[in-house]
Amino acid sequence: MENHLATLFRWLLVPVALAVIAFLIYHLFRWFGWKKKQAMGLALVSPWIVGFLIFTLYPLGDSLYLSFTKSSIFGKTEWVGLDNYIKLFTLDIEFWPSVRITLLYALFSLPIGVIGALLIAMLLNNQIKGIGTFRTIYFLPAVLPEVAVALLWRWMFNSESGILNYILSPFFKLFGMGKPNWFGDPDFILPAFIIMSVWGIFGTNTVVFLAGLQGVPRSLYEAAEIDGASGFRKFLHITVPQISPVILLQIVMGMIGALQIFTIAMFVRPSTAAGKFMNQLVYERGFTQMHMGEASAIAWVLFLIILVLTLLVFRSSPAWVHYESDMKR
Amino acid sequence: MARSLAAGGGLGTRRMNAIKRALIYIIVTFLAAVILVPFFWMLSTALQEKGDIFAWPPQWIPDPPQWRNFAEAWTAMPFNRYLGNTIFVVVLGITAELASATIVAYGFARFRFPGSDLIFLILLATMMLPFHVTLIPTFLIWQHFGLVGEFDPLVLRAWTAWGPFYIFLLRQFFLTIPRELDDAAEIDGANTLQTFFLIMLPQIRPALLAVAIFAFRGYWNDFLGPLIYLTDMKLYTMNVGMYFFMGGVNEAPQWNYLMAMSIIIALPVVLLFFVAQRYFIEGITFTGLKD
Repeated sequence: MENHLATLFRWLLVPVALAVIAFLIYHLFRWFGWKKKQAMGLALVSPWIVGFLIFTLYPLGDSLYLSFTKSSIFGKTEWVGLDNYIKLFTLDIEFWPSVRITLLYALFSLPIGVIGALLIAMLLNNQIKGIGTFRTIYFLPAVLPEVAVALLWRWMFNSESGILNYILSPFFKLFGMGKPNWFGDPDFILPAFIIMSVWGIFGTNTVVFLAGLQGVPRSLYEAAEIDGASGFRKFLHITVPQISPVILLQIVMGMIGALQIFTIAMFVRPSTAAGKFMNQLVYERGFTQMHMGEASAIAWVLFLIILVLTLLVFRSSPAWVHYESDMKR
Repeated sequence: MARSLAAGGGLGTRRMNAIKRALIYIIVTFLAAVILVPFFWMLSTALQEKGDIFAWPPQWIPDPPQWRNFAEAWTAMPFNRYLGNTIFVVVLGITAELASATIVAYGFARFRFPGSDLIFLILLATMMLPFHVTLIPTFLIWQHFGLVGEFDPLVLRAWTAWGPFYIFLLRQFFLTIPRELDDAAEIDGANTLQTFFLIMLPQIRPALLAVAIFAFRGYWNDFLGPLIYLTDMKLYTMNVGMYFFMGGVNEAPQWNYLMAMSIIIALPVVLLFFVAQRYFIEGITFTGLKD
């Protein structure tokens, strides 16, 4: 209870401090000659700016700095130049397997997630009786806590008496193989995670796509129907271009999410023989082995991977993303 | 229906539509079953006797259902205390998040100042920043202030509106309110604060609810934060408690208890979803689409 009260007290002080900062910023910029409304705007957004400087910008720079040092939580930091990176790329036996499994997971789960969610959304976009109930069921996986999802799937994938091996056992018999030990066998870990990611096509992505589909003007389809376009052609030439901004958003956010997989992997606890996901490696190196420098280097490699891939997707977007405003121009 | 008749007309198309409709029903029902079977399996395992869990073929209906599994799992660890801690973190987090995000979003929606567009762009870009890249320095900051092991790292930051997604969502809602409304209030002599509280806030109630729901889900589901910052067992949240309840690497998990606890952990979020589904979906839709 003591800890709670102490935290509560400090928690109450923070908004006071932020209000004072906002007040000072307002008067400072008024003094610089800003208009009332301008200074007010800056003052209103100042809490975010303060948070950004302390908890995003500074840590970003500091983690880059730490990645060039040898440091632990308690000890001193010592500049070692590129040593951490060189060690990771050449000596570290855990690094490349980790990059490999993280990228492969994203590579497979992303298209499944985006295309799957789009198909599900198209299905739910049909006006049939009881569709409301179905939508509720389809969105359920999205609200389930990751902890519960991970444990549920770990249990379903259980090699001894998991439901998945039970359902699939006729197939296994057909091919003359035994029950796979999904999360224990290095060959099956990636497939198991990919199967698990299919669960993610129900939920948030589906809701966003559904909203996108409902925003496509009816008149476009009607015009195409008069021209005698088939269902597939309508999908390809009307639906896809119309919702391409949504697809872009889903690809970017889905990719970032997939590359950052952490909680699920921690609870599923797969055999480490196939490699740990990169974020798991960051956590382990930083917080259980206390190698803050190495952990920061891994985090920066992951950050750069995400940055490069995101930029590539955005660079490609003018070729296939269609914005309504372009047409008006 | 009316539309399909008008467009198709002939008997052939109508039959086609009937077949299509039936096909859609079959697919939709099948997929719903695919989603619901794991849920059923979860409940079924949670109610099984320890000896029956590993039965082959699996037992679908536990006989008799062991309702006491829930009580036994709950008391196996101090989950009462963990629930209290979680609620503490959730309440403080949501309150701070809502208050600060609303004010910041209002600033971005209604005021223009030199650099405001650039700042907003940076805010959007932070959505793509991987959490782990700032993790270690952030930890070091809290350590510097001697607050590692306390709840502070989990809840103080919420005051700085650190969910860019929430700011974005609220800003989009503010933008839908016609400017004439604030102008009228200003002419009537209302100051910025009065306009904000009396005119703007009531207009964006659905968005506030959506943010509250998302924030609840975020804090309730958070695992990494509590895992690294809470060092004292007495301060654990539900999810960290679950992590240790799961047992060590070489321990065989007790699946009936773990499923029972998973259900308990999922229940508040699922119930909230049923009650507030409209706001939840509205929130996702709004941010997913509008510019």
